[in-house]
Amino acid sequence: MTVLGGIGFTAPWLLLALVALPILWLILRAVPPAPIRRLFPAVSLLLGLRDDESVSDRTPWWLLLLRVLAVAAVILGLAGPVLNPRQQAEGDQPLLVVLDASWAGAARWTQQIDLLEARLTEAGRANRPVAVLRLGAPEDLVFQSAAAWRSRLPGLSPMPWQPGQAELAAAAQAVGAQAGGFDTLWLGDGLDYAGRTELLETLSARGAVTVYQSPNPVLGLRPATFADGAVQLTLLRAEPGPERIQAVLALGPDPAGTVRVLNRSEARFAAGETEAQLALSLPSELRARVTRFELEGQRAAGAVALTDDSLARHEVALFAGRQDREGLELLSPLHYLTQVLVPNSDFIDGALLDVLPANPDIVVLADVVTLATLERSALTEWVEQGGILVRFAGPRMAASDIGRDEIDPLLPVRLRSGGRTVGGAMSWGEAKTLAPFADTSPFYGLTIPDDVTVSTQVMAQPDPDLADRVIAALSDGTPLVTRKALGLGQVVLFHVTADAEWSSLPLSGLYVEMLDRLAVSSAAKSADAINLEGTVWSPLRVMDGFGQLDDAGNLPGVDGTALASAAIGPELRPGVYANESRRLARNVLGADSLLTPAQWPASIPVLGLSIAAEQPLGGWLLSLALVLLALDVAASLALSGRLGPLGRAAALLGLLLHAPGAEAQQAEADRFARDATREMVLAHVLTGNRAVDDLALAGLRGLSDTLFFRTSVEPAAPFSVDLERDELAFFPLLYWPVTPDQPQPSHAAYARLNTYLRLGGMILFDTRDADIARFGAGSPNGQKLQQLAAPLDIPPLEPVPGDHVLTRAFYLLQDFPGRHASTDIWVEAAPADAEQIEGMPFRNLNDGVTPVVIGGNDWAAAWAVDDNGRSMLPVGRGYGGERQRELAYRFGVNLVMHVLTGNYKSDQVHVPALLDRLGQ
Amino acid sequence: MSVAPALRHRAETAAAPLPPLLARAEHLAGTVLLGDHGRRRAGLGDDFWQYRPAQPGDSRRMIDHRRSARGDQQYVREREWQIAQSVMLWVDQGASMRFSSDKRTETKADRARLLALAVAILLVRGGERVGLTGTTLPPRRGNAQVHRLAEAWSRDAEADYAPPEHRAMIPHARALFVSDFLGDLGEVELALSKAADRGVRGVLMQVLDPAEESFPYRGRTLFESVGGTLRHETLKAGELRERYLIRLAERRDALMALTRATGWQLGLHHTGDSAQSALLWLWRALDGRVR
Repeated sequence: MTVLGGIGFTAPWLLLALVALPILWLILRAVPPAPIRRLFPAVSLLLGLRDDESVSDRTPWWLLLLRVLAVAAVILGLAGPVLNPRQQAEGDQPLLVVLDASWAGAARWTQQIDLLEARLTEAGRANRPVAVLRLGAPEDLVFQSAAAWRSRLPGLSPMPWQPGQAELAAAAQAVGAQAGGFDTLWLGDGLDYAGRTELLETLSARGAVTVYQSPNPVLGLRPATFADGAVQLTLLRAEPGPERIQAVLALGPDPAGTVRVLNRSEARFAAGETEAQLALSLPSELRARVTRFELEGQRAAGAVALTDDSLARHEVALFAGRQDREGLELLSPLHYLTQVLVPNSDFIDGALLDVLPANPDIVVLADVVTLATLERSALTEWVEQGGILVRFAGPRMAASDIGRDEIDPLLPVRLRSGGRTVGGAMSWGEAKTLAPFADTSPFYGLTIPDDVTVSTQVMAQPDPDLADRVIAALSDGTPLVTRKALGLGQVVLFHVTADAEWSSLPLSGLYVEMLDRLAVSSAAKSADAINLEGTVWSPLRVMDGFGQLDDAGNLPGVDGTALASAAIGPELRPGVYANESRRLARNVLGADSLLTPAQWPASIPVLGLSIAAEQPLGGWLLSLALVLLALDVAASLALSGRLGPLGRAAALLGLLLHAPGAEAQQAEADRFARDATREMVLAHVLTGNRAVDDLALAGLRGLSDTLFFRTSVEPAAPFSVDLERDELAFFPLLYWPVTPDQPQPSHAAYARLNTYLRLGGMILFDTRDADIARFGAGSPNGQKLQQLAAPLDIPPLEPVPGDHVLTRAFYLLQDFPGRHASTDIWVEAAPADAEQIEGMPFRNLNDGVTPVVIGGNDWAAAWAVDDNGRSMLPVGRGYGGERQRELAYRFGVNLVMHVLTGNYKSDQVHVPALLDRLGQ
Repeated sequence: MSVAPALRHRAETAAAPLPPLLARAEHLAGTVLLGDHGRRRAGLGDDFWQYRPAQPGDSRRMIDHRRSARGDQQYVREREWQIAQSVMLWVDQGASMRFSSDKRTETKADRARLLALAVAILLVRGGERVGLTGTTLPPRRGNAQVHRLAEAWSRDAEADYAPPEHRAMIPHARALFVSDFLGDLGEVELALSKAADRGVRGVLMQVLDPAEESFPYRGRTLFESVGGTLRHETLKAGELRERYLIRLAERRDALMALTRATGWQLGLHHTGDSAQSALLWLWRALDGRVR
């Protein structure tokens, strides 16, 4: 492949054809454009005229240029141009691919795999055997064909840890076991780790080493801590660089349980700094829901900080039985508890029955003995559903009979009456100290300070199951803390007071640690190695290299000390660990982790991950040539004046491509609405029959004119309404001539018609057949009317009664002729209880406007006028006919008045009564 | 034949605003066909014959207002029936007339027939006899003749340039030739000299398309006559324009000379212009007022 200016050509000799372009230019210039054929009658006058020059009109230069460019594109395209041509890689030694395969490269894993695939393809072309070594999970080197490795590429994934000592040793051993030389490709993740340099030396000794490493610095996120009322996040980057803004997402379940982003904040790396601080002040409710923080756009385990109990806020309800020493805060039985719980608990105040529905995590009863039955049952139910009830003894409990004879459900053990006092001024013995915690106790591993003494306690009855329930005892074996499970929850009893009266326990750090172990106080320093000593934590969910949480499956449990301090590795995976009800998160980065960039010796070439793929350009160039030639065709046609139909076709095509979209339709609808509402307008329904529609429009025009001249209703020009398309709400009255062949409106149109009718619109149906069939099925128009009106929401109808308001809305009318003079017009039936009031001429009929008026008198024909205001169709004969037309107009006026004023005229029946009353 | 009624309808429309045309009888005595003039009865003529009360059916424009204004009754002034003139029409039906450079303008043939038929209607309304040159349709009077004319002109001829029909011309009649006169000038010369020999005088109306007057063509062009018999190819049509216009002017000069020599008149009309003005000019020319 020949490379010219960064572009390679597979067939470079074809480029010589470019030399022919100037010749082509000259030839094209010399050839005149094809003649245009024109009809011209005066050709007789032209005969014998000679052209002055033999040279014809030249082809325009731009057309020549177009053609030459097209030919040039063809030549270049056929020469096989390739962008980013790849030079053949040197070397035929076996190839070892070393992957850091740690979380630090997870964010750029796809790039790494793409690069690896490209390199494997090359190695396959060169028939070089390939072995792949992942430092995160080293295996023996197996040199096999590149194709075999390529098929395994999708299965590779980064590990959520950095290569540790064990892994590197295994890797060195694997390399040492391989005889002979090989070249090495090292895909680094950009972070330094111990032992990397040694491995590099080992590999350099066997052959050439090339390092691929992304220039983008690795980002990391330290575990979240809670301080100063805010979640403190520390972002790390491997190398100091320019200022950088990085978004941090807080993820957690929403109330529906779906994990979503609860908060998004931005942290700023100052220029030259490798750390960025972010204080997130979240509402405690929200904070308790956060399960993980992660850096936006960084898909790596190190950029995730899982949260555990340390961020959770317990809701604690504290109750003390003794209220007689209110003023002495330091002597409050709850003082020490409050001090322990304040850093990460929210207190719920209130009466017990008010507090329990708020579902506190913990209820502490300090020397509370008497519980009402309702309180007792509510508390028992709450504990059984998972609550932790912590009770402290006290003088009252010692004095009471609670749990004497049988185990109280809310006490772990039976109590002996009175309690005992040791080591006091009036007692024989000394104050007792604590016995070491048994290994079954949740307190196992805690160090017992020497100065913790107990002087007074309540005693448990020696029941058979007492031993199981004791989790802390005094040196003489008497229980100090007992516990029992109750439903899903548990009841814990401290046999001493919550304050320092009976023991010095509340004064010691042990008090805090014990409460912590009981998950009562999940102190922020929970991941302390000493604190965790003696506990075994089982992994709940573990993270992969990309930061995704997976089910832990059957991974073995981890010792608490190791969990706190051991390095993340195959033995200790990052994730969420559980011990009883406590949760502890182990993140890839610790609280004091730093990210150190990997430094490579100057002798090792370090390349970026971004590889430009080979891109053949031939197809593009040939396509360009085709486009240019198409342009040439169009331009040539345009020049010779033959573009006419083609141009129109193209324009039509363009028009189709840019078909009027929704905006245009919206604009159309808006215009329709503006026109229809500018003035009051009458409208008729388009039937699809041209003659009927025109006549209906002319009829409404005549009626509008009549209204304009005679009444204060001054309608604008009437509208034709397409039921399928147009909004109906603007029209008080729709005139609907019925033709036998008009299409049935769609369901949507009927829905809108019904809405229209319910909102006070009126439809005047006109069968235009003089009602010869009396609305039976006899006439085609009558049948069609039945079909049309069936889906409509029409009330019961009756022929217009003599006292209907239509008969007197404007004119006094007895009948309602149109072009025909049939008598029956149907309107909404009067209510059955309409009665004629004594002395009133009319019944008080419908309260509203009849939604339909149905008749067959062909009113539009009688109303119709042409543009000059002359009647279009004759009505009747002579003067009698004109009288009938006048009555038709009067009916129209009455109808519009009825629509617009409703039962206003109907109300006139009250006028005599009103006048009568006014007279008094 | 649906073309004829439509053509007649449009011609009627064009002729409606004009007063009845009475071609001046230059040679009253010479009109041989119907004998001498002065029939001693009311009819169409120049001389006063009598006033008579207007009767139903009289057109309003026939009322003599000067007489009627003297009393309450309306009068019609009747003239002595004089000899009608015979006017012979010839409209070029050749293929060259069926040309229009623009879809918006009508073809020359359409315009020529319209003008001729409008003139015919005016003449018939004025009581003249109208007919075609040649033997197909001798001059007659009456509305039916207008219909026959319209029918006759709805037939197209095949030839590119139709020579003027000059046979069977009635002596001392008048004639109207409508054509683009782009064909052989010799034929026109022959027809006009023959007409002059018989004492026939008349009008040549040249109807041209605007494109024929402006020659707006450029580039390599193959010009073809409408019938396809003649063609001329040029490499630079734009270069031909000047010389074409000179030739066109020469053609017109030749026609002018011809009409001068024979006592005819030459009119020019472009299809892009209004037909009304052309009809007005024709009417005045046939009336003998334009010299």
